[in-house]
Amino acid sequence: MSFLRRYLSWITIAGVAISLAGVLAFMFLRIDSYDPSRYFSSLALLRQIKQIDSQWEVQVLRSRIGINLDYDSLVDPLNELNKNWRQLEQLTQAAPLRNRDKWQHNTQLYQQALAKKAELIESFKSHNSVLRNSLHFLPTAEDDVQNLISDQRSSMVLDNTSSYVFDVLLGTMEFVQVSTDDKAAEVTIGLEKLEEQKAHLDPDTADALDIFNQHVHTVLREQKVVDGVLNAIAAVSVANRLDGLIELLSQEQLMSAEQDRLHHQYLLVFSGVLAALLLYLGVRLARSYGEINRVNRALHNANDELEARVVERTRELQRAQSELVGSARQAGMAEIATNVLHNVGNVLNSVNISADLVARKVRTSKSAGLSKAVAMLQEHQHDLGHFITQDEKGKLLPGYFAQVCEALNAERESITRELELLNKSVNHIKEIVTTQQSYAGPSSIVEPLMMAELMEDALRMQAGSLVRHQVEVIRDYGPIAELWLDKHRLLLILVNLISNAKQAMNAREGGPRTLTLSIREDGERLTIRVRDTGEGIDPQHMTRIFSHGFTTRAEGHGFGLHSCALAAIEMDGTLRVESEGVGSGACFVLEIPIKSKGQ
Amino acid sequence: MTGALRWACAFLLSGLAQQNIAAPLDEPIKPIPRWHTENGPRAELGRQLFNDKRLSANQSISCASCHLLDRGGADVRAFSLGLHGQATGFNAPSVLNAALNFRQFWNGRSATLEEQINDVLLSPVEMGANWTDVLARLSADRVYQQAFAANYSSGITQENVQNALATYERTLTTPKARFDLYLEGDSTAITEEEKAGYGRFKQYGCISCHQGINVGGNMFQRFGVMGDYFKDRTPITDADQGRFAVTGLEEDRHVFKVPGLRNVEHTAPYFHDGSAPTLDKAVEVMFKYQLGRRATDEDTRLIILFLKTLSGEVQVVP
Repeated sequence: MSFLRRYLSWITIAGVAISLAGVLAFMFLRIDSYDPSRYFSSLALLRQIKQIDSQWEVQVLRSRIGINLDYDSLVDPLNELNKNWRQLEQLTQAAPLRNRDKWQHNTQLYQQALAKKAELIESFKSHNSVLRNSLHFLPTAEDDVQNLISDQRSSMVLDNTSSYVFDVLLGTMEFVQVSTDDKAAEVTIGLEKLEEQKAHLDPDTADALDIFNQHVHTVLREQKVVDGVLNAIAAVSVANRLDGLIELLSQEQLMSAEQDRLHHQYLLVFSGVLAALLLYLGVRLARSYGEINRVNRALHNANDELEARVVERTRELQRAQSELVGSARQAGMAEIATNVLHNVGNVLNSVNISADLVARKVRTSKSAGLSKAVAMLQEHQHDLGHFITQDEKGKLLPGYFAQVCEALNAERESITRELELLNKSVNHIKEIVTTQQSYAGPSSIVEPLMMAELMEDALRMQAGSLVRHQVEVIRDYGPIAELWLDKHRLLLILVNLISNAKQAMNAREGGPRTLTLSIREDGERLTIRVRDTGEGIDPQHMTRIFSHGFTTRAEGHGFGLHSCALAAIEMDGTLRVESEGVGSGACFVLEIPIKSKGQ
Repeated sequence: MTGALRWACAFLLSGLAQQNIAAPLDEPIKPIPRWHTENGPRAELGRQLFNDKRLSANQSISCASCHLLDRGGADVRAFSLGLHGQATGFNAPSVLNAALNFRQFWNGRSATLEEQINDVLLSPVEMGANWTDVLARLSADRVYQQAFAANYSSGITQENVQNALATYERTLTTPKARFDLYLEGDSTAITEEEKAGYGRFKQYGCISCHQGINVGGNMFQRFGVMGDYFKDRTPITDADQGRFAVTGLEEDRHVFKVPGLRNVEHTAPYFHDGSAPTLDKAVEVMFKYQLGRRATDEDTRLIILFLKTLSGEVQVVP
C-alpha cells in the first residue's frame, strides 16, 4: 500500500517536472522562432529591390533622352530584381509569417506589376530605338533632300519644297520637345504640303523626300507611342507594391517583436513561478534538513548512550567472564586437587597396607620366644654347660636359637621390603603434590617442554583411577621436539580430557575401555587427540558440549570442557570434538599453533 | 630604386606601349569580359553532353549537330534538320555568346539557357526526346555516372543535365574580338576603314538596336519597322509571327529578338528565316526594312568591314 502511494507520488512528481520542462521548452522555442535578422534582411532586400526598380526607371529615362547608348542597362536591373526576389522568397519561406495570405496576395500583385513593367520596358526599347533612329537620321534625310534640290536649277517648286522640308524638320524637332497635338497637326500639314509638292519633283528628289516624310511620320508615331509607354511605365505601381510589402513585413516584424516581448514577459512570469517554487522547495529542504539533523543528533545521543551501556555491559560481561574463568580455573584446580587427593589417597592406601603389614610383623615377631630362652639361660647361669649339654630343655636351646635367628632374618627382610614400598609411596605422594604445586600458578607462562612428558604427568595424576577402572592406555606419540607452550593450561586441558574420557568409559557398561592418546606436530600446529571408547555424544549435544554449565552427568558441574575450551582459545588454539553418536566413543581434538621460542 | 623594380616598371611601360592601352571607350557597344567564372568541371561535363547524340530520341543528333562551333556556333543551313530530317521553324541562332542574350530563341520564349535546353530537347521536330529516356540513357553510362557524382550531389537529374549544358554554354563567349580590343583602348586594333564602318553603323542607326555587350540580343524589334518585310516575302510561316506566338498580342506580331552581331561573318545564312545567304544581302535588307533608307555600296562595304571586327575567340574550357 505504501509502495503504491510512493509510486503514485513519484508519477506525480515526474508529471509536474515534465510539464514544467514542456512549458519552458515551448516558451524557449517560441522566443527562439523570432529571428529579427530574418525580417531585417528581408526588409533590406525589399528596399534594395525598390532601389533597383527606381534605378531601372532612371535608366529608362536616360535611354529616352539618349544618354544611355545601349539597352543592357535596361536588361540587367530585371535580372537583379529577380535575383534579389529569389533571395527574398527563400528568406520569407523560412520566416513564420502571420498573414501569409495577404503577403502572398501582395507579392502576386508585385509580380504582376513587375511583369507589366518589364513588358512595357520591352515595348519602350523597341519603339524608342525606332524613334531615336528616325530622329537621329532626320537631319541627314533633310540634308539629302536639300542637297538634291540645291543641285538642281532653282525653281518655285523646289524653293517651296526646300522651305517646307525645313519647316517640317523644325516642327518635328519642336514636337519632340513639346509633344503637343497642335505641333503634330502643324507637322502633318507640312507633310501634306510636301506630298503635294512631290508630284512636281524629279524621281530622285521625290524618293529622298519620301524617305524624309517616312521618318517624320515615324517620329510622330513613335513619339506618341514612346510617351504613352513611358506614362504607362510610370503608372505601373511596382514601387507602391514594394512599399506595401515593406509595410506588411514591418508590421509582421512589429507584431513578432510584440509577440516576442509578450513571450519574454510570460517567460519572466514563468521564471518567477519557478523561482518561487525553488524557494519553497529550498525552505522545505532546509526544514527537513533541520529535522534530519535533529533526529540525527537524537539518534547520535541515543547511540552514544547505547554505546556507553554496551561498554558498561561489556565490562560487566568481561568481569563476569573473568570471574567465570577464575571460577572455572578454580573449579579446574579443584578438580585437579580432587584428582591429586584421590591419587594421594590411593597411594596412602598402599602406605596404610604397608604400615599395617609392618605393624603385624613386628607384633608377631619371634623375638618374644627369644626372651624366654634368654630367661632360661639366665636361670641356669651357674651350670650353663650342664644345662646345655645335659638338661632336657637346655639341649633344645641351640636348635631353637637357630630357628629364631632364621625367623628373625625372614621377618627383617619382609619389613624392609614393606618399608621400601612405604617409602616409595610416600615419595609418590610427594611427587604428586610437587607436580600439582608446580601447575597451580594462574599466569600464562610459556616454557619449553616435551609434550610426551607432559602427557605422562597428566596420566600419572590419573594413574590410580585409570588402573582402578581398568582403562587401557594406548600412547600414539609422534616425534615431537621441544615446544614452547603454556604448561599449566595444557595440563589442565589434558587432565580434564583424560578424566572426561575415563568417566565416559566408566559410564558405559561392558566393552573395551581403551584411551588412545595421540600427539602430532606438523611444524605449524600441535594436534593432540584424546580418543575414548565411551558412551559417545548425542549429535544434538555436539553444539553445546563446550557450553558453560553443560553436563550429562549427575555429579558434573559443566565446567570441565568449558574451561578446557577457554584455555584452548587463550592459547590461540581450538578444541573440538568428533563423535559418531551415542555408543561410538568420542575424540577430542586440541589444536594449538606452535609458538617459536620467545613469542 | 632597386634594379628589380626598375625592370618591372620598364616591362609595364613597354607592355603599355605595345598594346597602346588608353582609357576604355564609352561606346554603345561594350567588350566581352576576357574571363568567365563558370565551374570548369561542370562545363566540361556540359561539353560532353553538348556533343552527345543520346540527348535526341533516336540518338541521331546532338546539340553540336546544328550549333557548329567552327561555323560561328550556328548552322550553315537556313533551316536545321531535326531528328527525323524535318526542317526546323527557325534558322539556328548561334550558341556563341548566347549567354549574353537577354532571352533565348528568336521569339524570346525562354528566359534562361536552362529553359532553352529543355525546349529544344522536348521539341518533336528538333530532338524529340523526353527526360525519362534521356536520363536513363545517361545513367547507363559509367563515365557520366562518375562525372555527375563528382560534380552534383544529386547525380544525374534533369536539372543537373540542364545546368551542365547551360554552364558549358556560358563559357562559349568570344572575347578578344578586335573591336573589343579597340573598345578597351587599343586604337590600333582596327583599321581606319573599320572605324569608318563603325561610324556608318552608328550614323545610319543600326546602333539603335544592335548595341550593348552582344551588339544586340538585349531587346525585341519588329522585323519591318520601315517597310513590310513579310509582304515581300511569302508565304508566311508560324515562325514569322515572331513574339506574337508567345504573347498573343497584336503589337508583338513579327517582333523578334534582335540578334547579337558578334561573329556574324561566320553565321550565314542570316535572319530567323535564313533568307539572307550573305552579309551584303543582310545589310541591304536591314537598311530597307529596318532603317527605311538606301545604303550605298560603300556604306555596305564599310559596315561589313566593321562587322568582321566583331569576331572573337571561343575560350578553351579550362
